[in-house]
Amino acid sequence: MNTNAMSQEHIIYLRGIRRQNRTVSFFRYFILIAAVALWELAARLGWIDPFIMSSPSRVWDTIIRLYGDNELFHHIAVTMLETVVGFVLGTILGTLIAVILWWSRSLARILDPYLVVLNALPKIALGPILIVWFGAGIKSIIIMGLLISLIVTVMTVLAGFNEITDEKQLLMRTLDASRIQILTMVVLPASIPTIMSALKISVGMSWVGVIVGEYLVSRAGLGYLIVYGSQVFKLDLVMASIVILCVLAAIMYYCVAYFEKRLIKWRDWA
Amino acid sequence: MAEILLEADNVGLTYHQPTGETLAVDNITFSINRGEFLSIVGPSGCGKTSILSMIAGLMEPSHGKIILHSNHRPGYMLQRDHLLDWRTVEGNVLLGLQVKRILDDNTRAFALSLLDTYGLSDFTKSYPRQLSGGMRQKVALIRTLACSPELLLLDEPFSALDYQTRLKACDEMYGIIRNEGKTAILVTHDISEAISMSDRILVFSSRPARIKAEHQITLSAGNTPLERRNSPEFKDYFDIIWKEIDHEH
Repeated sequence: MNTNAMSQEHIIYLRGIRRQNRTVSFFRYFILIAAVALWELAARLGWIDPFIMSSPSRVWDTIIRLYGDNELFHHIAVTMLETVVGFVLGTILGTLIAVILWWSRSLARILDPYLVVLNALPKIALGPILIVWFGAGIKSIIIMGLLISLIVTVMTVLAGFNEITDEKQLLMRTLDASRIQILTMVVLPASIPTIMSALKISVGMSWVGVIVGEYLVSRAGLGYLIVYGSQVFKLDLVMASIVILCVLAAIMYYCVAYFEKRLIKWRDWA
Repeated sequence: MAEILLEADNVGLTYHQPTGETLAVDNITFSINRGEFLSIVGPSGCGKTSILSMIAGLMEPSHGKIILHSNHRPGYMLQRDHLLDWRTVEGNVLLGLQVKRILDDNTRAFALSLLDTYGLSDFTKSYPRQLSGGMRQKVALIRTLACSPELLLLDEPFSALDYQTRLKACDEMYGIIRNEGKTAILVTHDISEAISMSDRILVFSSRPARIKAEHQITLSAGNTPLERRNSPEFKDYFDIIWKEIDHEH
Protein backbone atom coordinates (compact mmCIF):
# COMPACT_ATOMS: atom_id res chain seq x y z
CA MET A 1 0.00 0.00 0.00
CA ASN A 2 1.17 3.51 -0.78
CA THR A 3 1.55 5.49 2.42
CA ASN A 4 1.62 8.82 0.62
CA ALA A 5 -1.80 8.25 -0.87
CA MET A 6 -3.41 7.57 2.50
CA SER A 7 -6.23 9.89 3.39
CA GLN A 8 -6.46 11.58 6.76
CA GLU A 9 -9.49 9.45 7.49
CA HIS A 10 -7.58 6.23 6.85
CA ILE A 11 -4.71 7.33 9.09
CA ILE A 12 -7.18 7.94 11.89
CA TYR A 13 -8.78 4.57 11.24
CA LEU A 14 -5.43 2.76 11.41
CA ARG A 15 -4.48 4.68 14.55
CA GLY A 16 -7.77 3.53 16.11
CA ILE A 17 -6.99 -0.10 15.38
CA ARG A 18 -3.48 0.23 16.83
CA ARG A 19 -4.80 1.90 19.94
CA GLN A 20 -7.35 -0.86 20.46
CA ASN A 21 -4.66 -3.55 20.05
CA ARG A 22 -2.47 -1.75 22.58
CA THR A 23 -5.34 -1.56 25.07
CA VAL A 24 -6.04 -5.28 24.72
CA SER A 25 -2.42 -6.34 25.30
CA PHE A 26 -2.04 -3.86 28.14
CA PHE A 27 -4.98 -5.33 30.03
CA ARG A 28 -3.84 -8.88 29.32
CA TYR A 29 -0.53 -8.24 31.08
CA PHE A 30 -2.12 -6.00 33.65
CA ILE A 31 -4.49 -8.72 34.88
CA LEU A 32 -1.63 -11.21 35.26
CA ILE A 33 0.67 -8.79 37.03
CA ALA A 34 -2.09 -7.41 39.25
CA ALA A 35 -3.23 -10.89 40.28
CA VAL A 36 0.30 -11.98 41.15
CA ALA A 37 1.00 -8.73 43.03
CA LEU A 38 -2.27 -8.91 44.94
CA TRP A 39 -1.60 -12.52 45.89
CA GLU A 40 1.88 -11.65 47.15
CA LEU A 41 0.64 -8.59 48.99
CA ALA A 42 -2.21 -10.50 50.62
CA ALA A 43 0.19 -13.17 51.83
CA ARG A 44 2.72 -10.64 53.20
CA LEU A 45 0.11 -8.52 54.95
CA GLY A 46 -1.48 -11.58 56.50
CA TRP A 47 -4.85 -11.22 54.72
CA ILE A 48 -4.49 -14.85 53.72
CA ASP A 49 -2.57 -17.66 55.35
CA PRO A 50 0.49 -18.36 53.15
CA PHE A 51 0.68 -21.85 54.61
CA ILE A 52 -2.65 -22.73 52.95
CA MET A 53 -2.73 -20.27 50.06
CA SER A 54 1.01 -20.08 49.36
CA SER A 55 2.33 -16.96 47.61
CA PRO A 56 4.17 -16.07 44.38
CA SER A 57 7.53 -15.77 46.12
CA ARG A 58 7.06 -19.13 47.87
CA VAL A 59 6.03 -20.70 44.53
CA TRP A 60 9.14 -19.24 42.94
CA ASP A 61 11.35 -20.54 45.76
CA THR A 62 9.80 -23.97 45.41
CA ILE A 63 10.48 -24.06 41.68
CA ILE A 64 14.10 -22.99 42.30
CA ARG A 65 14.47 -25.68 44.98
CA LEU A 66 13.04 -28.34 42.68
CA TYR A 67 15.48 -27.18 40.03
CA GLY A 68 18.36 -27.30 42.51
CA ASP A 69 17.45 -30.86 43.51
CA ASN A 70 17.46 -31.83 39.82
CA GLU A 71 13.82 -32.79 40.19
CA LEU A 72 12.08 -30.04 38.21
CA PHE A 73 12.85 -31.28 34.73
CA HIS A 74 12.45 -34.89 35.74
CA HIS A 75 8.82 -34.32 36.73
CA ILE A 76 8.15 -32.10 33.75
CA ALA A 77 9.68 -34.67 31.41
CA VAL A 78 7.57 -37.50 32.82
CA THR A 79 4.30 -35.60 32.49
CA MET A 80 5.17 -34.18 29.07
CA LEU A 81 6.11 -37.62 27.77
CA GLU A 82 2.85 -39.14 28.99
CA THR A 83 0.78 -36.30 27.55
CA VAL A 84 2.49 -36.14 24.16
CA VAL A 85 2.44 -39.91 23.69
CA GLY A 86 -1.18 -40.16 24.83
CA PHE A 87 -2.30 -37.30 22.66
CA VAL A 88 -0.38 -38.32 19.53
CA LEU A 89 -1.59 -41.91 19.83
CA GLY A 90 -5.13 -40.69 20.53
CA THR A 91 -5.08 -38.50 17.42
CA ILE A 92 -3.62 -41.18 15.15
CA LEU A 93 -5.92 -43.90 16.45
CA GLY A 94 -8.93 -41.55 16.43
CA THR A 95 -8.29 -40.48 12.84
CA LEU A 96 -7.78 -44.09 11.82
CA ILE A 97 -11.10 -45.13 13.37
CA ALA A 98 -12.77 -42.15 11.70
CA VAL A 99 -11.37 -43.31 8.34
CA ILE A 100 -12.79 -46.80 8.89
CA LEU A 101 -16.18 -45.41 9.87
CA TRP A 102 -16.15 -43.10 6.83
CA TRP A 103 -15.28 -46.04 4.63
CA SER A 104 -18.13 -48.22 5.83
CA ARG A 105 -21.34 -46.32 6.28
CA SER A 106 -23.01 -49.44 7.71
CA LEU A 107 -20.34 -49.84 10.36
CA ALA A 108 -20.71 -46.15 11.26
CA ARG A 109 -24.46 -46.61 11.63
CA ILE A 110 -24.03 -49.76 13.72
CA LEU A 111 -21.48 -48.17 16.05
CA ASP A 112 -23.14 -44.77 16.34
CA PRO A 113 -24.99 -45.41 19.65
CA TYR A 114 -21.83 -46.88 21.17
CA LEU A 115 -19.87 -43.77 20.24
CA VAL A 116 -22.53 -41.54 21.71
CA VAL A 117 -22.55 -43.46 25.01
CA LEU A 118 -18.76 -43.66 25.19
CA ASN A 119 -18.57 -39.95 24.52
CA ALA A 120 -21.00 -39.22 27.34
CA LEU A 121 -19.19 -41.54 29.75
CA PRO A 122 -16.69 -39.75 32.00
CA LYS A 123 -13.55 -41.61 30.94
CA ILE A 124 -11.97 -40.86 34.32
CA ALA A 125 -14.33 -43.47 35.78
CA LEU A 126 -12.28 -46.06 33.88
CA GLY A 127 -9.11 -45.11 35.78
CA PRO A 128 -9.24 -47.84 38.44
CA ILE A 129 -9.96 -50.48 35.80
CA LEU A 130 -7.01 -49.33 33.70
CA ILE A 131 -4.74 -49.67 36.72
CA VAL A 132 -5.90 -53.24 37.27
CA TRP A 133 -5.49 -54.10 33.60
CA PHE A 134 -2.30 -52.29 32.70
CA GLY A 135 -0.56 -52.00 36.06
CA ALA A 136 0.14 -49.08 38.34
CA GLY A 137 2.57 -47.32 36.03
CA ILE A 138 3.18 -45.08 33.12
CA LYS A 139 1.28 -47.39 30.75
CA SER A 140 -2.02 -46.80 32.54
CA ILE A 141 -1.45 -43.06 32.58
CA ILE A 142 -0.74 -42.89 28.85
CA ILE A 143 -3.82 -44.98 28.09
CA MET A 144 -5.86 -42.66 30.26
CA GLY A 145 -4.59 -39.66 28.30
CA LEU A 146 -5.33 -41.50 25.05
CA LEU A 147 -8.82 -42.68 25.97
CA ILE A 148 -10.03 -39.33 27.16
CA SER A 149 -9.26 -37.70 23.80
CA LEU A 150 -10.00 -40.66 21.54
CA ILE A 151 -13.78 -40.55 21.23
CA VAL A 152 -13.90 -36.78 20.77
CA THR A 153 -11.28 -37.08 18.04
CA VAL A 154 -13.22 -39.85 16.28
CA MET A 155 -16.45 -37.86 16.36
CA THR A 156 -14.98 -34.51 15.32
CA VAL A 157 -12.88 -35.96 12.52
CA LEU A 158 -15.70 -38.17 11.22
CA ALA A 159 -18.04 -35.19 11.18
CA GLY A 160 -15.33 -33.32 9.24
CA PHE A 161 -15.03 -36.17 6.72
CA ASN A 162 -18.77 -36.26 6.19
CA GLU A 163 -18.85 -32.53 5.68
CA ILE A 164 -16.69 -32.79 2.55
CA THR A 165 -19.40 -32.28 -0.01
CA ASP A 166 -20.70 -35.24 -1.92
CA GLU A 167 -20.12 -33.17 -5.03
CA LYS A 168 -16.36 -33.08 -4.49
CA GLN A 169 -16.47 -36.86 -4.29
CA LEU A 170 -18.65 -36.90 -7.40
CA LEU A 171 -16.00 -34.88 -9.18
CA MET A 172 -13.43 -37.52 -8.24
CA ARG A 173 -15.71 -40.26 -9.52
CA THR A 174 -16.08 -38.49 -12.86
CA LEU A 175 -12.29 -38.66 -13.03
CA ASP A 176 -12.51 -42.42 -12.41
CA ALA A 177 -11.05 -42.23 -8.92
CA SER A 178 -11.06 -45.22 -6.57
CA ARG A 179 -12.26 -44.79 -3.00
CA ILE A 180 -8.68 -44.86 -1.75
CA GLN A 181 -7.89 -42.00 -4.11
CA ILE A 182 -10.96 -40.08 -2.97
CA LEU A 183 -9.80 -40.59 0.62
CA THR A 184 -6.17 -39.63 0.15
CA MET A 185 -6.57 -36.92 -2.49
CA VAL A 186 -9.74 -35.19 -1.31
CA VAL A 187 -11.20 -36.25 2.02
CA LEU A 188 -8.00 -36.32 4.11
CA PRO A 189 -6.43 -33.10 2.81
CA ALA A 190 -9.76 -31.29 2.96
CA SER A 191 -10.15 -32.42 6.57
CA ILE A 192 -6.78 -31.18 7.77
CA PRO A 193 -8.35 -28.01 9.25
CA THR A 194 -10.87 -30.18 11.13
CA ILE A 195 -8.19 -32.59 12.29
CA MET A 196 -6.12 -29.66 13.52
CA SER A 197 -8.99 -28.23 15.55
CA ALA A 198 -9.67 -31.71 16.93
CA LEU A 199 -6.00 -31.72 17.90
CA LYS A 200 -6.42 -28.45 19.77
CA ILE A 201 -9.28 -29.93 21.77
CA SER A 202 -7.62 -33.25 22.44
CA VAL A 203 -4.36 -31.71 23.58
CA GLY A 204 -6.26 -30.19 26.50
CA MET A 205 -8.17 -33.42 27.10
CA SER A 206 -4.95 -35.42 27.26
CA TRP A 207 -3.62 -33.15 30.00
CA VAL A 208 -6.74 -33.93 32.02
CA GLY A 209 -6.31 -37.67 31.46
CA VAL A 210 -2.63 -37.67 32.34
CA ILE A 211 -2.97 -35.56 35.49
CA VAL A 212 -5.85 -37.71 36.74
CA GLY A 213 -3.82 -40.79 35.87
CA GLU A 214 -0.94 -39.42 37.90
CA TYR A 215 -3.27 -38.72 40.82
CA LEU A 216 -4.21 -42.38 40.85
CA VAL A 217 -0.83 -43.98 40.33
CA SER A 218 2.67 -42.65 39.88
CA ARG A 219 5.88 -41.80 41.55
CA ALA A 220 6.77 -38.89 39.30
CA GLY A 221 5.20 -36.15 37.27
CA LEU A 222 3.39 -32.93 38.00
CA GLY A 223 0.15 -34.71 38.95
CA TYR A 224 2.16 -36.74 41.43
CA LEU A 225 3.69 -33.55 42.88
CA ILE A 226 0.22 -32.05 43.31
CA VAL A 227 -1.15 -35.09 45.13
CA TYR A 228 2.00 -35.56 47.18
CA GLY A 229 2.09 -31.86 48.07
CA SER A 230 -1.50 -31.86 49.27
CA GLN A 231 -0.99 -35.03 51.33
CA VAL A 232 2.01 -33.64 53.21
CA PHE A 233 0.41 -30.20 53.29
CA LYS A 234 3.07 -28.50 51.18
CA LEU A 235 0.71 -26.14 49.36
CA ASP A 236 3.71 -24.32 47.89
CA LEU A 237 4.52 -27.46 45.98
CA VAL A 238 0.93 -27.84 44.78
CA MET A 239 0.75 -24.24 43.58
CA ALA A 240 4.17 -24.43 41.94
CA SER A 241 3.13 -27.57 40.02
CA ILE A 242 -0.06 -25.92 38.86
CA VAL A 243 1.83 -22.85 37.63
CA ILE A 244 4.23 -25.10 35.70
CA LEU A 245 1.28 -27.00 34.26
CA CYS A 246 -0.29 -23.75 33.07
CA VAL A 247 2.88 -22.78 31.25
CA LEU A 248 3.35 -26.23 29.69
CA ALA A 249 -0.27 -26.50 28.55
CA ALA A 250 -0.04 -23.06 26.97
CA ILE A 251 3.21 -23.91 25.20
CA MET A 252 1.78 -27.15 23.85
CA TYR A 253 -1.38 -25.43 22.64
CA TYR A 254 0.62 -22.80 20.80
CA CYS A 255 2.81 -25.49 19.27
CA VAL A 256 -0.30 -27.14 17.81
CA ALA A 257 -1.63 -23.76 16.66
CA TYR A 258 1.69 -22.94 14.98
CA PHE A 259 1.76 -26.35 13.33
CA GLU A 260 -1.78 -25.74 12.09
CA LYS A 261 -0.85 -22.42 10.56
CA ARG A 262 2.13 -23.90 8.75
CA LEU A 263 0.14 -26.83 7.44
CA ILE A 264 -2.77 -24.92 5.91
CA LYS A 265 -1.10 -21.96 4.38
CA TRP A 266 -3.52 -22.00 1.42
CA ARG A 267 -6.10 -20.72 3.85
CA ASP A 268 -4.37 -17.35 3.99
CA TRP A 269 -5.79 -16.61 0.57
CA ALA A 270 -9.31 -15.75 1.41
CA MET B 1 -20.22 -37.59 -43.49
CA ALA B 2 -20.74 -36.93 -39.83
CA GLU B 3 -19.51 -39.64 -37.54
CA ILE B 4 -21.56 -40.70 -34.53
CA LEU B 5 -19.76 -40.39 -31.18
CA LEU B 6 -22.52 -41.31 -28.77
CA GLU B 7 -25.78 -43.17 -29.04
CA ALA B 8 -28.46 -43.36 -26.38
CA ASP B 9 -30.91 -46.09 -27.26
CA ASN B 10 -34.24 -46.23 -25.48
CA VAL B 11 -32.67 -45.21 -22.17
CA GLY B 12 -34.74 -45.23 -18.98
CA LEU B 13 -33.92 -44.71 -15.33
CA THR B 14 -35.88 -45.50 -12.19
CA TYR B 15 -34.88 -44.06 -8.82
CA HIS B 16 -35.52 -46.07 -5.70
CA GLN B 17 -36.21 -44.35 -2.41
CA PRO B 18 -37.73 -45.60 0.84
CA THR B 19 -40.90 -43.69 0.00
CA GLY B 20 -41.28 -45.32 -3.38
CA GLU B 21 -39.86 -45.44 -6.86
CA THR B 22 -39.74 -42.66 -9.38
CA LEU B 23 -39.41 -42.96 -13.11
CA ALA B 24 -36.90 -40.19 -13.80
CA VAL B 25 -36.02 -40.81 -17.43
CA ASP B 26 -38.22 -42.61 -19.91
CA ASN B 27 -37.43 -43.84 -23.36
CA ILE B 28 -34.76 -41.42 -24.44
CA THR B 29 -33.17 -42.05 -27.81
CA PHE B 30 -30.72 -39.69 -29.46
CA SER B 31 -27.24 -39.59 -30.88
CA ILE B 32 -24.54 -36.98 -31.20
CA ASN B 33 -21.98 -36.53 -33.94
CA ARG B 34 -18.32 -35.85 -33.46
CA GLY B 35 -17.69 -32.12 -33.11
CA GLU B 36 -21.33 -31.31 -32.46
CA PHE B 37 -22.53 -29.07 -29.64
CA LEU B 38 -25.78 -30.39 -28.22
CA SER B 39 -27.84 -28.80 -25.48
CA ILE B 40 -30.52 -30.35 -23.35
CA VAL B 41 -33.08 -27.95 -21.89
CA GLY B 42 -36.09 -28.69 -19.80
CA PRO B 43 -37.93 -27.75 -16.63
CA SER B 44 -35.85 -28.03 -13.47
CA GLY B 45 -35.79 -31.42 -11.83
CA CYS B 46 -36.78 -33.18 -15.05
CA GLY B 47 -33.89 -35.62 -15.09
CA LYS B 48 -31.45 -33.75 -17.31
CA THR B 49 -28.60 -34.37 -14.92
CA SER B 50 -29.49 -38.07 -14.68
CA ILE B 51 -28.86 -38.41 -18.41
CA LEU B 52 -25.38 -36.90 -18.03
CA SER B 53 -24.62 -39.16 -15.07
CA MET B 54 -25.53 -42.20 -17.12
CA ILE B 55 -23.43 -41.05 -20.08
CA ALA B 56 -20.52 -40.43 -17.69
CA GLY B 57 -20.90 -43.95 -16.35
CA LEU B 58 -21.72 -42.84 -12.81
CA MET B 59 -25.11 -44.55 -13.00
CA GLU B 60 -26.34 -47.54 -14.94
CA PRO B 61 -29.52 -47.01 -16.96
CA SER B 62 -32.41 -49.14 -15.71
CA HIS B 63 -33.09 -50.10 -19.28
CA GLY B 64 -31.83 -49.32 -22.74
CA LYS B 65 -28.18 -48.68 -23.48
CA ILE B 66 -25.66 -45.95 -24.07
CA ILE B 67 -22.87 -46.53 -26.52
CA LEU B 68 -19.83 -44.27 -26.61
CA HIS B 69 -17.54 -44.66 -29.61
CA SER B 70 -14.44 -43.37 -27.89
CA ASN B 71 -11.48 -44.76 -25.99
CA HIS B 72 -11.61 -41.88 -23.53
CA ARG B 73 -14.02 -41.48 -20.71
CA PRO B 74 -16.23 -38.39 -21.14
CA GLY B 75 -15.06 -35.29 -19.29
CA TYR B 76 -17.62 -34.01 -16.81
CA MET B 77 -18.01 -30.43 -15.65
CA LEU B 78 -20.17 -29.83 -12.63
CA GLN B 79 -22.15 -26.74 -11.64
CA ARG B 80 -19.45 -25.61 -9.29
CA ASP B 81 -15.75 -25.78 -10.14
CA HIS B 82 -14.81 -27.79 -7.03
CA LEU B 83 -11.18 -26.83 -7.34
CA LEU B 84 -9.19 -28.26 -4.45
CA ASP B 85 -8.20 -25.32 -2.25
CA TRP B 86 -4.94 -26.84 -1.09
CA ARG B 87 -3.63 -27.47 -4.60
CA THR B 88 -2.26 -24.81 -6.88
CA VAL B 89 -3.85 -24.21 -10.27
CA GLU B 90 -1.25 -26.53 -11.74
CA GLY B 91 -1.98 -29.20 -9.13
CA ASN B 92 -5.69 -28.94 -9.84
CA VAL B 93 -5.23 -29.21 -13.58
CA LEU B 94 -3.09 -32.33 -13.14
CA LEU B 95 -5.60 -33.97 -10.77
CA GLY B 96 -7.36 -36.08 -13.39
CA LEU B 97 -4.07 -37.28 -14.85
CA GLN B 98 -2.86 -38.29 -11.39
CA VAL B 99 -6.07 -40.09 -10.58
CA LYS B 100 -5.91 -42.02 -13.84
CA ARG B 101 -2.19 -42.65 -13.27
CA ILE B 102 -1.30 -41.29 -16.68
CA LEU B 103 0.73 -38.32 -15.48
CA ASP B 104 4.03 -38.25 -17.37
CA ASP B 105 6.13 -35.62 -19.11
CA ASN B 106 3.89 -35.61 -22.17
CA THR B 107 0.55 -35.34 -20.42
CA ARG B 108 1.93 -32.76 -17.99
CA ALA B 109 3.29 -30.66 -20.86
CA PHE B 110 -0.06 -30.90 -22.61
CA ALA B 111 -1.98 -29.77 -19.53
CA LEU B 112 0.39 -26.87 -18.95
CA SER B 113 0.19 -25.88 -22.62
CA LEU B 114 -3.59 -25.61 -22.22
CA LEU B 115 -3.10 -23.23 -19.29
CA ASP B 116 -0.71 -21.29 -21.47
CA THR B 117 -2.98 -21.15 -24.50
CA TYR B 118 -5.95 -19.96 -22.51
CA GLY B 119 -4.17 -17.20 -20.65
CA LEU B 120 -3.65 -18.81 -17.25
CA SER B 121 0.11 -19.36 -17.39
CA ASP B 122 0.72 -16.55 -14.88
CA PHE B 123 -1.48 -18.32 -12.35
CA THR B 124 -0.04 -21.85 -12.38
CA LYS B 125 1.38 -21.41 -8.88
CA SER B 126 -1.66 -19.55 -7.52
CA TYR B 127 -4.17 -21.10 -5.19
CA PRO B 128 -7.85 -21.27 -6.27
CA ARG B 129 -8.86 -18.74 -3.61
CA GLN B 130 -6.80 -16.13 -5.42
CA LEU B 131 -8.81 -16.51 -8.64
CA SER B 132 -12.09 -14.98 -9.77
CA GLY B 133 -15.17 -17.10 -10.39
CA GLY B 134 -14.78 -17.03 -14.16
CA MET B 135 -11.11 -17.99 -13.97
CA ARG B 136 -11.88 -20.83 -11.59
CA GLN B 137 -14.43 -22.25 -14.00
CA LYS B 138 -11.85 -22.00 -16.80
CA VAL B 139 -9.34 -23.91 -14.68
CA ALA B 140 -12.03 -26.54 -14.08
CA LEU B 141 -12.55 -26.84 -17.84
CA ILE B 142 -8.82 -27.24 -18.42
CA ARG B 143 -8.69 -29.87 -15.67
CA THR B 144 -11.33 -31.74 -17.67
CA LEU B 145 -9.58 -31.20 -21.01
CA ALA B 146 -6.22 -32.36 -19.61
CA CYS B 147 -7.46 -35.96 -19.73
CA SER B 148 -8.15 -35.55 -23.48
CA PRO B 149 -11.81 -36.57 -23.46
CA GLU B 150 -13.55 -36.54 -26.83
CA LEU B 151 -16.91 -35.85 -25.27
CA LEU B 152 -17.53 -33.10 -22.73
CA LEU B 153 -20.53 -33.20 -20.41
CA LEU B 154 -21.42 -29.78 -19.07
CA ASP B 155 -23.92 -29.74 -16.23
CA GLU B 156 -25.02 -26.10 -15.89
CA PRO B 157 -21.39 -25.07 -15.64
CA PHE B 158 -22.19 -21.36 -15.48
CA SER B 159 -25.04 -21.37 -13.00
CA ALA B 160 -22.86 -20.48 -10.01
CA LEU B 161 -21.55 -17.33 -11.74
CA ASP B 162 -23.10 -13.87 -11.73
CA TYR B 163 -24.71 -12.71 -14.97
CA GLN B 164 -21.85 -10.60 -16.33
CA THR B 165 -19.22 -13.24 -15.59
CA ARG B 166 -21.53 -15.87 -16.92
CA LEU B 167 -21.80 -14.34 -20.40
CA LYS B 168 -18.05 -13.88 -20.57
CA ALA B 169 -17.28 -17.37 -19.26
CA CYS B 170 -19.77 -18.73 -21.77
CA ASP B 171 -17.90 -17.06 -24.64
CA GLU B 172 -14.55 -18.24 -23.39
CA MET B 173 -15.59 -21.84 -22.79
CA TYR B 174 -17.29 -21.98 -26.15
CA GLY B 175 -14.10 -20.72 -27.79
CA ILE B 176 -12.00 -23.31 -26.00
CA ILE B 177 -14.35 -26.20 -26.76
CA ARG B 178 -14.55 -25.27 -30.45
CA ASN B 179 -10.84 -24.63 -30.67
CA GLU B 180 -10.01 -28.02 -29.18
CA GLY B 181 -12.51 -29.65 -31.53
CA LYS B 182 -14.49 -31.28 -28.74
CA THR B 183 -17.97 -32.69 -28.82
CA ALA B 184 -20.15 -31.33 -26.03
CA ILE B 185 -23.45 -31.96 -24.32
CA LEU B 186 -24.66 -29.00 -22.27
CA VAL B 187 -27.45 -29.36 -19.76
CA THR B 188 -29.05 -26.08 -18.78
CA HIS B 189 -32.33 -24.47 -17.83
CA ASP B 190 -31.24 -21.24 -19.48
CA ILE B 191 -32.80 -21.23 -22.95
CA SER B 192 -30.75 -18.28 -24.25
CA GLU B 193 -27.55 -19.95 -23.16
CA ALA B 194 -28.53 -23.14 -24.97
CA ILE B 195 -29.45 -21.34 -28.22
CA SER B 196 -26.33 -19.18 -28.17
CA MET B 197 -23.97 -22.14 -27.81
CA SER B 198 -25.56 -25.10 -29.57
CA ASP B 199 -25.82 -26.71 -32.98
CA ARG B 200 -28.82 -28.65 -31.79
CA ILE B 201 -31.17 -28.54 -28.82
CA LEU B 202 -33.22 -31.31 -27.24
CA VAL B 203 -36.20 -30.13 -25.21
CA PHE B 204 -37.07 -32.48 -22.37
CA SER B 205 -40.50 -32.84 -20.82
CA SER B 206 -40.97 -32.66 -17.08
CA ARG B 207 -40.44 -35.84 -15.10
CA PRO B 208 -40.26 -38.51 -16.34
CA ALA B 209 -37.96 -36.97 -18.92
CA ARG B 210 -38.87 -37.64 -22.53
CA ILE B 211 -37.64 -35.85 -25.63
CA LYS B 212 -40.38 -33.40 -26.42
CA ALA B 213 -38.82 -31.56 -29.32
CA GLU B 214 -35.59 -31.26 -31.22
CA HIS B 215 -34.28 -28.11 -32.91
CA GLN B 216 -31.42 -27.71 -35.32
CA ILE B 217 -30.05 -24.24 -34.56
CA THR B 218 -28.94 -22.16 -37.52
CA LEU B 219 -28.08 -18.59 -36.71
CA SER B 220 -27.07 -16.17 -39.42
CA ALA B 221 -24.81 -13.92 -37.38
CA GLY B 222 -21.83 -14.24 -35.14
CA ASN B 223 -19.16 -16.70 -34.13
CA THR B 224 -19.34 -16.37 -30.37
CA PRO B 225 -22.33 -17.03 -28.13
CA LEU B 226 -22.55 -13.33 -27.29
CA GLU B 227 -22.69 -12.33 -30.95
CA ARG B 228 -25.00 -15.18 -31.81
CA ARG B 229 -27.51 -13.74 -29.37
CA ASN B 230 -27.95 -10.83 -31.80
CA SER B 231 -29.04 -12.99 -34.71
CA PRO B 232 -32.54 -12.25 -35.98
CA GLU B 233 -33.53 -15.93 -35.61
CA PHE B 234 -32.48 -16.03 -31.95
CA LYS B 235 -35.77 -14.67 -30.65
CA ASP B 236 -37.86 -17.09 -32.72
CA TYR B 237 -35.99 -20.10 -31.34
CA PHE B 238 -36.36 -18.66 -27.86
CA ASP B 239 -40.12 -18.21 -28.22
CA ILE B 240 -40.69 -21.71 -29.56
CA ILE B 241 -38.60 -23.42 -26.88
CA TRP B 242 -40.01 -21.19 -24.13
CA LYS B 243 -43.52 -22.27 -25.07
CA GLU B 244 -42.55 -25.90 -25.22
CA ILE B 245 -41.15 -25.80 -21.71
CA ASP B 246 -43.85 -23.50 -20.37
CA HIS B 247 -46.61 -25.88 -21.43
CA GLU B 248 -45.16 -28.41 -19.06
CA HIS B 249 -46.31 -26.44 -16.05
